[in-house]
Amino acid sequence: MASEDLKQEIQQALDNATLSRTLGTFCRTYPAKREKSYEGVDFPAVRDKIKEVKSFAADHVDELIEEFTRNCEARGGHVIHARSTEEAMEFIRKLVKEKEIKSIVKSKSMASEELHFNKVLGDDGVLVQETDLGEFIIALEGNTPVHMVMPALHLNKEEVADLFTEYTKEKNEPIIAEEVKTARKVMRDRFIHADMGVSGANVAVAETGTVFTMTNEGNGRMVGTLPKTHLYIFGIEKLVKSFSDARHIFKALPRNGTGQRITAYISMYTGACEVVSDKEADLKEKKEFYVVILDDPGRREILAEPDFRQIFDCIRCGACLDVCPAFALVGGHVYGSKVYTGGIGTLLSHFLVSKERAEQIQNICLQCGRCKEVCGGGLQISDMIMKLREKSMAEHPNAVKKFALDAVTDRKLFHSMLRIASVAQGPFTKGQPMIRHLPLFLSGLTNGRSFPQIAQTPFRDIFPTIRQDVPNPKGTIALFAGCLLDFVYPDLARDVIADLNSIGWLVDFPMGQACCGCPASNLGDRENALREAEINIEAMEAEKYAYIVSACPSCTHQLRQYPDFFEKGTEMYARAKELADKTFDFCKLFYDLGGAAETGDDKPMKVTYHDSCHLCRSLGVTCEQRELLQKTPGVELVEMEEHDNCCGFGGAYSVLYPEIAKPILENKVKHIQETGADVVAVDCPGCMMQIRGGLDAQGIEGVEVKHTAEIIAEKRGLV
Amino acid sequence: MSERGAQMNKITDARYESFRKNLEAVNGTCVRAARKKIGEAVAGIFQEAGVKDACLPETPLFQETGVKEALEAAGIQVYTDHIRLHAETARGGISEAQYGIAELGTLVQCRDSADERIAATMSEVYVGVVPGSEIVETYDDMFDLLSGLDPIPNFVGFITGPSRTADIECVSTVGVHGPIQLFAVVVDDA
Repeated sequence: MASEDLKQEIQQALDNATLSRTLGTFCRTYPAKREKSYEGVDFPAVRDKIKEVKSFAADHVDELIEEFTRNCEARGGHVIHARSTEEAMEFIRKLVKEKEIKSIVKSKSMASEELHFNKVLGDDGVLVQETDLGEFIIALEGNTPVHMVMPALHLNKEEVADLFTEYTKEKNEPIIAEEVKTARKVMRDRFIHADMGVSGANVAVAETGTVFTMTNEGNGRMVGTLPKTHLYIFGIEKLVKSFSDARHIFKALPRNGTGQRITAYISMYTGACEVVSDKEADLKEKKEFYVVILDDPGRREILAEPDFRQIFDCIRCGACLDVCPAFALVGGHVYGSKVYTGGIGTLLSHFLVSKERAEQIQNICLQCGRCKEVCGGGLQISDMIMKLREKSMAEHPNAVKKFALDAVTDRKLFHSMLRIASVAQGPFTKGQPMIRHLPLFLSGLTNGRSFPQIAQTPFRDIFPTIRQDVPNPKGTIALFAGCLLDFVYPDLARDVIADLNSIGWLVDFPMGQACCGCPASNLGDRENALREAEINIEAMEAEKYAYIVSACPSCTHQLRQYPDFFEKGTEMYARAKELADKTFDFCKLFYDLGGAAETGDDKPMKVTYHDSCHLCRSLGVTCEQRELLQKTPGVELVEMEEHDNCCGFGGAYSVLYPEIAKPILENKVKHIQETGADVVAVDCPGCMMQIRGGLDAQGIEGVEVKHTAEIIAEKRGLV
Repeated sequence: MSERGAQMNKITDARYESFRKNLEAVNGTCVRAARKKIGEAVAGIFQEAGVKDACLPETPLFQETGVKEALEAAGIQVYTDHIRLHAETARGGISEAQYGIAELGTLVQCRDSADERIAATMSEVYVGVVPGSEIVETYDDMFDLLSGLDPIPNFVGFITGPSRTADIECVSTVGVHGPIQLFAVVVDDA
């Protein structure tokens, strides 16, 4: 569960009007800007090349460190290979003392932030100046970055003007162009008088000993051009083998970071270049060029963990932040790390900054998977966050979460609890189809939406009464209902059967089936997820059926993960594999079995479609359901804005973080309304529950939420 | 000068147009000039921008083509030494770029001269002079070329338009620590 402190920080972030305006606007416009910047560039190909050069570097990191050192030193540089942040900082302090350095100008270096560089040297009496505009602003504010690429997004121009007025002792107007001029003026003086420049590297090339820095403002160039001593600080993950390898990273970095095809500057330093050491005498010599390569135990831990090793491939572009629905609302401060934020920040913080903080913030992830689509290094970010949850749960089992999940896994107990709930909820539904107020811990569920009532009769009790009239059946399909179809939407399960019967297939419902295990997996409870996998493999007996159908993409996704729970070569692995291979989501299976047909009542129905995260991103199904709908006479399909954005349900997420889930849902409802559709088609009962609840809570009438299977059954007169 | 330069492949109109269009897309300005008209072109730019003094690290090309003289004739104070000192006050800066990238509108500095880097970084109004024959079509062409240099110069810098930021309220603003205006002079017969 989220700690109270974190909850408070989340609320503060949500209440920050500037943050929600600037970050909201940025995140909304980012996908289109990014896409435009990739015109003529094949992103998946670039990403694969990045993955290739970065994983090569991961596999050869010791050789690359050695090679970089040799080549940089051959060109007049000095390289320090630091085995810990302390060792790195000790060397830097000594260097600063020896060279009698009084003032330092810095362009962005995230590794230096891991060293607490500014604080340590500041305490030693050295003037350390962050020169990037955003970093400068937050340094004046005494805050930490809210975004890895745009650190001061949470402040408006008025607040910036106040900070500048206080700093310069001259009145600053809240006009952005003027504020930028102030920064130029203040910083110019610092650049001119600094004894040392400090840079971070985006890439370091072993074969030539070259370091690369990308900036827009030109501060990176100033830092590398003016002071006599120049220090680079970067982690071992920045190394690549060849100069040519670096090109791939700079194709993705600006496009993913800010939607630019290239930044204003990319500077490449190979060893010590020329510097003016005495401006009055116009004397020139080679600069004092130092490189600290940070090789701390946290970085080695990433390399040593097979589940997390791909973190090494991260290029720090920040794209995973920009597409994250939760990040778009709360920004980076709640991630707690002073350095890394968002999805990748959760992972990096765990290894490089604080395991405790990472444990709290890993639950902010909705598991919607958008980050994986845009990641410049092809990292499976949300999957790794899930692994991190498993790791934490195994190390510190959380009593409350665990109790709930143990109950879900105990099929009989869970089912009887749900049956009791269906009776006990009477007083709360007020005879309405929606519960507006739930008692006790479930209250989080009703924040901003209504919760459906538990069905009076679960599907498992209805199934034996269903008559399937299929002459000459083509075969039998087993239905995996999942909790929502079984206990909340039994009519939907009926529709699925009617649809499949109509194209010549019989449907069976194996009674022993339990929860698919997705909620347990989502909360990091691998033990319960495994038990549920075992129960369902036994119960479903995939060997007996042609296919397994599920009308819930989260269940489909989970069933397809079952082989991962078992060791290859075992009997359970083989059974899990057979089950996984035969399992399809309803719309995909119905389409593949020839279900698309121009039959229907031809009554006009304006439909907009909401893509569920698991269906579009994990299962890759986006066309089949649209074709099924479009072929139906009378149906007019209109796309809504951000149709593949998460609805905020995220399984247990909406219970853990209702305050984040609520605005995500409100946004979804807004986009639905903009289309003027009468029906929102979905393929996930979780999304259906969430969106129906959102419409109900906002008192919106005349818009229905229906599953694709339901629309087909209705339009074709099958039920 | 590289082998490519020696061959004197004159820039094609299509490639020039691509370079110009892409530079303008990032708030830069582009002019095309004959070798003997470089000084005139730079003087025109500075006059229009109201620049009265400029740093000019001398090179054989600038000397041969009389850039300094042309600027002085236009009433502009020109500094060819103590660049580091004068760049603190002079508004203009001129330097050669060794290469260009058409598809991005990028100038590429590819040698280790502190004065040239200072002129390109500290000035408010910067003019980069690039031989048309050395403008390659794509970013990949440029990386192929750089990867083949042995040794790679101590400094290589890509410059694409004036300096910029979006750090306050995500509003794109031109001119932060580096130049506020950037001009490229593409030399036709160099």
